[in-house]
Amino acid sequence: MKKIFALTFILSIGLSGFAQLDRSIKPQPGPAPIVKIGSYETFVLSNGLKVFIVENHKIPKVTYNLMLDYDPILEKTTAGYTDIAGQLLRTGTSTRTKDQIDEDIDFIGATLNTSSTGIHASALTKHNERLLAIMSDIIMNAQFKQEELDKIVKQTLSGLETEKNEPASISRRVGAVLMYGKDYPYGESATEESIRNITLDICTQFYKTYFKPNIAYLAIVGDITVAEAKPLIEKYFGAWQKGDVPTSKFVTPVAPTASTAAIVDRPNAVQSVISLCYPQQLIPGCDDAIKAKVMNTVLGGGTFRLFTNLREKHSFTYGAYSQLNSDELIGNFQASANVRNSVTDSAFTEILYEMNRLRTEKVTDEELSMIKNYMTGTFSLSLESPQTVANFALNIEKYKLPKDYYVNYLKNLAAVTSDDVFTMANKYLKPNNAYIFAVGKSADIAEKLSKFSADGKIKYYDIYGNPVTTENKIKPVPVGVTAESVIKKYVVAIGGEKKLVKVKDVTIKMTTTMQGMTLNFDSYRKAPNKIKTDVSMNGMVMQSQVYDGVKAYMTSMKGTEEIKDKDLESIKIQAVSNIELSYAKNNIHTKLVGIETVNGKEAYNIELTMPSGAKSTDYYDVETGLRIRSIEEQGTTDFADYKDVNGIKFPFSIAQEMGPQSFKLQVISVEINKKLADTLFQIKK
Amino acid sequence: MKKKNLFLTCLLLGTVACCAQSGKIDFTEYNLDNGMHVILHQDNTTPIVAVSIMYHVGSKNENPERTGFAHFFEHLMFEGSPNIKRGEYFKIAQNAGAVNNANTSWDRTFYFEILPSNQLELGLWLESERLFHLRIDSTGVETQRGVVKEERKQSYDNRPYGSLIEQTFSHAYKVHPYRWTPIGSAQYIDKATLQEFIDFHDTYYVPNNATLSISGDIDIKQAKEWIKKYYNDIPKGKKQIIRPTIVEPKQEKEVRDVVYDNIQLPAVVEAYHMPAQGTADYYAISMLTTLLADGESSRLTKSIVDKQQKAMYVGAFPIALEDPGLFLMFGIVNSGVTPEELEKAIDDEIEKIKTDEITEKEFQKLKNKTENDLVTKYSTQSGIAESLANFYMYYGNANLINTSIEKYMKVTIEDMKTVAKKYLTKENRVVLYYLPKSEKKGGN
Repeated sequence: MKKIFALTFILSIGLSGFAQLDRSIKPQPGPAPIVKIGSYETFVLSNGLKVFIVENHKIPKVTYNLMLDYDPILEKTTAGYTDIAGQLLRTGTSTRTKDQIDEDIDFIGATLNTSSTGIHASALTKHNERLLAIMSDIIMNAQFKQEELDKIVKQTLSGLETEKNEPASISRRVGAVLMYGKDYPYGESATEESIRNITLDICTQFYKTYFKPNIAYLAIVGDITVAEAKPLIEKYFGAWQKGDVPTSKFVTPVAPTASTAAIVDRPNAVQSVISLCYPQQLIPGCDDAIKAKVMNTVLGGGTFRLFTNLREKHSFTYGAYSQLNSDELIGNFQASANVRNSVTDSAFTEILYEMNRLRTEKVTDEELSMIKNYMTGTFSLSLESPQTVANFALNIEKYKLPKDYYVNYLKNLAAVTSDDVFTMANKYLKPNNAYIFAVGKSADIAEKLSKFSADGKIKYYDIYGNPVTTENKIKPVPVGVTAESVIKKYVVAIGGEKKLVKVKDVTIKMTTTMQGMTLNFDSYRKAPNKIKTDVSMNGMVMQSQVYDGVKAYMTSMKGTEEIKDKDLESIKIQAVSNIELSYAKNNIHTKLVGIETVNGKEAYNIELTMPSGAKSTDYYDVETGLRIRSIEEQGTTDFADYKDVNGIKFPFSIAQEMGPQSFKLQVISVEINKKLADTLFQIKK
Repeated sequence: MKKKNLFLTCLLLGTVACCAQSGKIDFTEYNLDNGMHVILHQDNTTPIVAVSIMYHVGSKNENPERTGFAHFFEHLMFEGSPNIKRGEYFKIAQNAGAVNNANTSWDRTFYFEILPSNQLELGLWLESERLFHLRIDSTGVETQRGVVKEERKQSYDNRPYGSLIEQTFSHAYKVHPYRWTPIGSAQYIDKATLQEFIDFHDTYYVPNNATLSISGDIDIKQAKEWIKKYYNDIPKGKKQIIRPTIVEPKQEKEVRDVVYDNIQLPAVVEAYHMPAQGTADYYAISMLTTLLADGESSRLTKSIVDKQQKAMYVGAFPIALEDPGLFLMFGIVNSGVTPEELEKAIDDEIEKIKTDEITEKEFQKLKNKTENDLVTKYSTQSGIAESLANFYMYYGNANLINTSIEKYMKVTIEDMKTVAKKYLTKENRVVLYYLPKSEKKGGN
């Protein structure tokens, strides 16, 4: 009996356990909690200081955020001075030395930080008035001293020194230069030189001019009532004198007309810090603001599309995100990640893919609803911090938003549609007008990044955002390497002499885009020395150049002209099949000059002297042996993306720069030994 | 698997790892039959809730041939379960308006969600699924292997001074598993078989090795019912949990080395062996940290950064762990200053603590700062949930959240001088110089 009872008991437990829980059922939420946005009180002192108070008595602490709202300042040769003036603020007043300020703040366990735009401070409620006394002394009676400036300059210079090896800092600084330019305040950053130029006088002048109550907001959050705060603020800030503050205007930067690839070389880097970025107009609180934020969140404002693609699908990175930052003057868009060297280009390809996907496909209701749920949640979670409500109040005032902007925020968020997201993506995502920017090891990444540039070129910058030509540093060559050995290595690299001499003719079809038009280049070559190139648009030949082994002609809209003299000499040499096998026979003199860096690759520089005396230079990749650049009188040609055709390698990407003009030819097809007829090279008159 | 930060970041950012606030934090705690410990704190002021599980497993539980396992799990744990498809874990949480993350230390791994309070049941279900039957397969393992390698490069290899903790610990410990750090070695993660990952989960990710800590806008009775529903039938672990008992022998002689890194300015690390967290000496050392490096008027900052201008930065961090950890001081020289000069300046300040006076006023300042830190610490629900779990898991006493302030306040000036003399000695320390690679001569 007992046994049976025990058995039943076990059985029933087992069964009830079973019946009780079906784990595949995802729990449903309870009724949505009411999201209450804490209220704030506001008042203005007679000197113009606007005060906001958010009461919150959960912990016995009060926080002050004093913020000055002035137009950005272009600091030019003394870049960094407003930041330094901000630091100087807590180094002395007419009655306190720096030691006293430090001691007074630390003794009450408070924090107090100063910056070029104000003061942030907090303390336990019981020390509140002591904190206010220090704050008010600093804001009204700061006194800058040379010895303190000297210290800060020294610290700042050391800080700049360490930043030289911080890829994230370099990316931030140079990214700003790319987006805004150095003539715009947001694009400026301090250098050793500009820091050394800073004088006590300009710092003092800045403080005296800009630290005025009539352009200041004071947000007070925490364990204090409005009734307590009013008299205290009047007592400690009432005597602060108002004054006229200068305003300024700048030409607003715009996104580049075509995408540009840029690199800051860090030869030791094991990862690239990549960023696709451009300046973007988006005013805080404008009609688009919430919709555009939803769009960016889908893309990468959290662990969403970019993260899923670059991290979870491809393991390129630890994280990939995007930001669409609003600003009163000019905001920006940035998609960024840290990725291993070898996938730097693939990571950009995926970022561009995700940007284009949002511009061409509407997001599903399911995905949109997830994003909105997430944004609703994070908005609600942010309200845990009373500081959030203070920030809301400041934004409403600063950006002149409707008073109920944040009260209606969730309602407006819920109203965003898939069509809105689509519209926002097409308005704010600019995959073809961006800086494709990497801080990384140029030798590993440069060649593959050039394809993202409209002109096929990489722009190089130093860590301060100054353009650099990495290509002028000529290094000596190792012993044993000669012009002959370099050219021989090239011949082997593209397939070997045996295969090359079997080539009787070659047909190469190429395409490029110029000012929005697609041009086709068809080039024909027949051994031993015939060549022809047709340039056509929409199937119509616009221009044709031909050399039949004796004479050369150019045909265009203007008619046909014979090519003579110097230009003919040049074509004669160009027309020789496999000229690399017969430089000596053709009286071309070769000279190995040294090793240079070309698009981040070490390359041998071979100077060619033609029988006419004209000179040109070819660059051969030290590692692969392939020719990656030719410089002639007319311009520079870069070769990349070599592909095998019947055992011979041809460059499939050809970028040409002629004076200010540059364009990139994409090879569509290469055909060998099609038995081209001689008649093709006849001059049609 | 997530954007998690290693626990280390928290250690370096925070200074005094401490406790208690003015208002008492009430909580309920109990055990489930399967050994899982539950702690509930109710606070209905904001409609949010933090749901967390702390597992008592960190890098010190790892096989020396499989370092990085505990942290790798932090990534794997987002791979789903039979009821949560791959990639869905994030989506479900996001759809609920939640944020989630995780971190790993030498001693424990911590997972949390912060949700709107009407989603408490969902948070409980999510955590129970990966505790009960986490998906561990080759696809997930492969993906996360790649991700963790990039994490290592981003946070350690490609960052100036990024190897600091790893180098310091590997020089300070000869036999104790603290000789490696949670990020571990990619090579071992590559070598490990799928079965090894499954065994690790079966061993450490079991209810009897976990503390479920919940804080926020909850109804205690309802919370208990849901906890019973989702956790009661998860079986106890059957494998033996390995807790290292190995004791690091006392260091008899100063350890000194040079690390060449991609940096511009040399740095100096001084790391002293210190007692385990929770001991009386530990609280004295915490106060010593405040004396040395918390605030502009602190001894190291005032003397070395402000007055002598030998360093652009100096900090002190007690890395307090379950077994004896390290008291770490780190300084980056100002341009033109040698590491020898900076080391001497730090040593002079340590000597002053041992021999000179600490005034009552300075001591009162330390107490005021400590009190301020404590009050601030418990201003978020996630902070409260994590601290309750920490105090229970390490000390078996969650109420330390209310009482540990007394342990700090009991420390005397004499105690601080005593621990300085006892632990801050040359024989007991590791000194590392970080020098730019360009200064490396000869060798490889």
